[in-house]
Parts: sequence; C-alpha cells; structure tokens
Amino acid sequence: MLLYGRLSKDNKEEVLEKAGKDLEAVRDQHFARLMKELQGTDFWKLRRAYSPGVQEYVEAATFYKFCLSGTLCTLDEINTTLVPLSDPSLEPLQINILDYILGLADLTGELMRMAIGRISDGEIEFAQRICQFVRQIHRELMLVVPKMDDSYDMKSKMEVMLQSVIKIENACFSVHVRGLEYIPLLGDNAPTSYLLGAADVE
Amino acid sequence: MAGGDGQVSHSLEKQFESFRVQLEESAALREQIRAVVMEIESATRLIQANLLLVHQSRPIPEVIEKAKEKIVDLKQYYGRLAEILEECPGQYYRYHGDWRSETQAVVSQLAFMHWLETGTLLVHTEAEEKLGLNSLEFGLETEDYLTGICFMSNDLPRYVVNRVTAGDYDCPRKVMNFLTDLHAAFRMLNLRNDFLRKKFDSMKYDLRRVEEVYYDVKIRGLISGGDPPGVQAVQGQS
Repeated sequence: MLLYGRLSKDNKEEVLEKAGKDLEAVRDQHFARLMKELQGTDFWKLRRAYSPGVQEYVEAATFYKFCLSGTLCTLDEINTTLVPLSDPSLEPLQINILDYILGLADLTGELMRMAIGRISDGEIEFAQRICQFVRQIHRELMLVVPKMDDSYDMKSKMEVMLQSVIKIENACFSVHVRGLEYIPLLGDNAPTSYLLGAADVE
Repeated sequence: MAGGDGQVSHSLEKQFESFRVQLEESAALREQIRAVVMEIESATRLIQANLLLVHQSRPIPEVIEKAKEKIVDLKQYYGRLAEILEECPGQYYRYHGDWRSETQAVVSQLAFMHWLETGTLLVHTEAEEKLGLNSLEFGLETEDYLTGICFMSNDLPRYVVNRVTAGDYDCPRKVMNFLTDLHAAFRMLNLRNDFLRKKFDSMKYDLRRVEEVYYDVKIRGLISGGDPPGVQAVQGQS
C-alpha cells in the first residue's frame, strides 16, 4: 500500500507493475498457505481468524485495479484469481461477501488520501474521477450494508466513508473555485482551508 | 397460618402471571411494530439513495420522480402502524420510541425533496398529509418533525459545495437565505438541553459553512456569471 502513496503520473507504469507483482506474491505465498491451513474446515467457522488479513487484501487488490483501469474489481474477479492456488481436488478459499464489503470500505479511505494528494500535484481530473467512484460505492453500499450480519462495524465504516466522500468533494470544490491559486497553496503548507479540516494532517 | 401463607403466595403468583401475560402481549405488539418500522427504514434508505444523485448533478425532477414513488409505500406503512396501535388505544407514547428516529429520517428526506422542488420549507401539516397521518389519531410528533428538519439542514452544506463545483453559483445565496430564515425561526423556540436542542445547534454550523461558501463565490466575482479565472486558464491549457 505504501507504493501507491508514491504513485504519480510520471512513475505510474513502473509503480503499478511492481504493485501488481507484489499482489501476485501475496496471493501465491500467503493465500496458498492460508488455504492449506484451512483445508478440511468450514471457512465460515474460522473466519474471525483470517478476516482482517483478507480485508486488507481486498483493499489492496481493488486499489490496484482502480489505479490500473479506474474500475472496481468485483468479488467474482478477485475470487477467480484465487482458484488456481488450491489443489483442484479441494474446495478453493473464496472471499465471502462480508469481507469483500469491509475491504471496500477501507479502500475508500485510501482513495481519499490519494485524491487529496493528486490535487496537490495539480491532477484535478483524477481527483474528480475518484470523487465519482467513491460516491458511487458509498451509494451502493448504503442500500446493502443494513442487511449485513453484524452490521455494527460496517455502519461506523459507512460514516467514515461519507466523511471521505465529503473531504474529496470539498477538495474538488476548493480547486474549482480557487483554481490555480489553490494548488501552490497546498504545497506551501499555507493554512488549510476550513473545508479540508485539520483532520487531514494524519 | 399455613392457610394464610397459601393465600398470600397465591395472589403473588396471580399478579406475576398477569404481568407475564400483559408483557407478552406488549412484546408481541412490539414485534409487529418493529416489522413495519423496518420497512419504513428500507423505503427511507431508497429515497435517500435516490436523492443523493443531486450531488452528482442529476436533474432534480428526475431524481424526485423516483423518490416520490416510495412515498406511496411510506404512507402504507404508517397506515399499518396506525392500525396496530388501534389495538391498544392510548398507548401511542408507550411505543413511540420504536419509530421515532425512523420518522425523523423520513421527515428529513421529505423536507429535502420539498426544498429541491420548491425552495421552501415543508411545513408540519404538509408532512403529516404526505404520510397519511392525522394529529387526532396517529400523528406526526412536532419534535420528530423539527428534528427531521434539522437533519435536512445538515445535508445542505454538502449540496451547496457540490453545486458550486458543478458551476451553479446561484445556489449558495438561495440556500443561505433559506437557512438564515429557518435558523431565525427555530430561535423563536425555547429549546431545552435535549437532543433537539443539540440538532438545532448543529444548524448554526451548517449555516456558517454555507455562508463561507457564499463569500468564497462572491469575492471571486463568480455570482455575476462565468467560471472562475483558474478554471478558464486550465481549460485554455488542456
């Protein structure tokens, strides 16, 4: 995930290539091991043990896909990549809906950070694309989340997600209204606009 | 004495047996209420998801059309709620907590929709009417209505910000005037330190943010029309 922080339009290709390889490595090594460990047991039974790790993977994989193509990597797509890792005679570990959705929620936080970063580099359009994307995810999840098991965690993630959306929207607003005068301001560490809020300095 | 004890324990048992029956009945009623309230919540979420599209500059009439379809459902659900409560007359307030926050959310969405359409505030009686409620039998609590209005105000700054990003520089002024009037009207109420009071306080911050957006837009001369110089320059570059 640290790699993505360094992503900019100049080094995009090479960073993405490295990221892609890293993701593959995680898949091949860690997921394969996970599958071997879980063999023979019910995936749901031990979910609490591996769920956080899986969520992180979902976050990384969807982030990667977005940087690559601006689209959302679906659950089916991710699971398809996992199938080859296990013995064909055994049931492959498939990520379940809940972990996917939880991972997606964390993705939006990363995207928000990236959007704010892109804006300070002057890449407004990319930030706007992220804005649209995150809005869409938030909206879709809004209808799905209340039906989830133990939706309590997810509910607070939804609030955080909305705050991320609002931060991105506010940044796009500031750029639009202030135009070119805004971008150098971000670089100079000048007092941040009330709209971004101090919380951004994380 | 043994006979006496027997009598005492018998009436004690009787009391608790009667309690058990009553509480089971009210629990059953609660379950019925809960079921309907969950439908109300679902419908409200759908309305909310639809209304969110105005942040993405979808045309208002289109967005409202879809949302309006759900109001029909809401009316139905509140009707069912009223029916259920008819079974136990005089206990509206006992169970009111079970639909309080959901109703506040409903009012908030309805009021936002109304404002998008007309630029005015949805009044209490209109809100009641839309939901098929009437204050004599099963009505809309004034406090729920007011809290719902505060929730609506909370969404306005975000709306204004996104409208300006989309190039609608008139929006801040309209919202600012609306919120100023609304806030002033609320100040006429003598609110105590409860939930509604806190929501009212948050309206002050909503108003302040809208004012800031308005000034931002004004001092850059955007209100007279045309895009900010920065955007023009960027467009020139690309």
